[in-house]
Amino acid sequence: MSKPLAASKKVMKNYLSELLTDEPIVIEQIADSPKGIKDKSRVEALLKNVNADLDVAPHEITTHKSLVLPPHFIKEEFAPSENSGQLKQQSEAMLTTQKSHGNNLISPPKSYRQGDFQALFFNVAGLTLAVPLIELGGIHNVDKITSLMGKPNWFKGVMLHRSEKINVVDTALWVMPEKYDETLKNSLNYQYIIMLNNSPWGLMAENLVDTVVLKQDEVKWLDSPSKRPWLAGLVKDKMCALLDIEALIALLNEGSGINQFD
Amino acid sequence: MSDERRSTSNKADANDEVLQWVTFKLENEVYGINVMQVQEVLRYSEIAPVPGAPLYVLGIINLRGNVVTVIDTRSRFGLEPCDVTDNTRVVVIESEKQVIGILVDSVAEVVYLKASEIDDAPNVGNEESAQFIQGVSNREGELLILVDLDKLLSDDEWDELKQF
Repeated sequence: MSKPLAASKKVMKNYLSELLTDEPIVIEQIADSPKGIKDKSRVEALLKNVNADLDVAPHEITTHKSLVLPPHFIKEEFAPSENSGQLKQQSEAMLTTQKSHGNNLISPPKSYRQGDFQALFFNVAGLTLAVPLIELGGIHNVDKITSLMGKPNWFKGVMLHRSEKINVVDTALWVMPEKYDETLKNSLNYQYIIMLNNSPWGLMAENLVDTVVLKQDEVKWLDSPSKRPWLAGLVKDKMCALLDIEALIALLNEGSGINQFD
Repeated sequence: MSDERRSTSNKADANDEVLQWVTFKLENEVYGINVMQVQEVLRYSEIAPVPGAPLYVLGIINLRGNVVTVIDTRSRFGLEPCDVTDNTRVVVIESEKQVIGILVDSVAEVVYLKASEIDDAPNVGNEESAQFIQGVSNREGELLILVDLDKLLSDDEWDELKQF
């Protein structure tokens, strides 16, 4: 095995390990995080100042319930104190903290999340990626790609296919920009364009590997909000990424690179 | 065809304005500029550099007694510089009430395009040069990139050119 190839494989192995160890951002983590603990203790300290016996379990404090208490309830049940205004302000502040996680909304379940489904596997720069077949828009051979100025570097250009204009993505550059150097660029031999659903976006691929029927438990699904919304899950057997096409299209439409959540 | 349908069809044709575009090449891509803005196309002649000129200005040429500033189109479009060849041309254009020259690799032809044949360019990227693209058109299997010359330079840059 040549040294560059071995190095490339090592890089890919590390990359996949990173993907597998990537922990999704779970909302509940907030309460357990150092900031969450700090917030919780701050709330507890504030509640001590309220002139009433309040029996609230700690885990309830961080929920929305504690923030949506009707104003009349607070007025009637608790004697007004100097700190009540401060408590309200603190509650609102906590609400805005929750809002900062708005980008990580859970999308509705995909059609391929029930029963067996087929996926197409393809290679890019030694990395294998998979697309659920139901979200595959088509496969074209790479033809002349017209580059457009002022576009992100991963936007390879526009390829004409009959009357269709395809926005071509340099997949290697989009998926692993940090590993994309001149050597990798020169080694790429893109041959196919994998069309994403009904969108004009197409991912460049070097080789088409196979179409495989996958069972639900053969994939480690990343259902929780993740900093990699384009990643639907990881195919355990092949140790490869299964793309979330819908999220990927949304990112491409925004002109966002892969690291927008980093 | 009924009279009503024929009338509707004629109206649609009337709205589908035909514009002429002068096409030129840079690197391997074909660009189009509105023929109404093109004054003339010149063979390459020596461009006199101007000390202290902005980077996008290649220099000036003497066009029948008038000084014309020549813009470095390649650098403007984010392309690497290349050597002058027999095909290199200076396209003299009028834009923003100023006459300037743009250096191109070659000039190809004049094409007719219906408004309906022009599509928007993909709306990704917010670099300044992305604004230059007025639209794209599929012409005989080749993508023609239509350039909005007025946006080739910013307002400040157009003002700056007036100093020359």
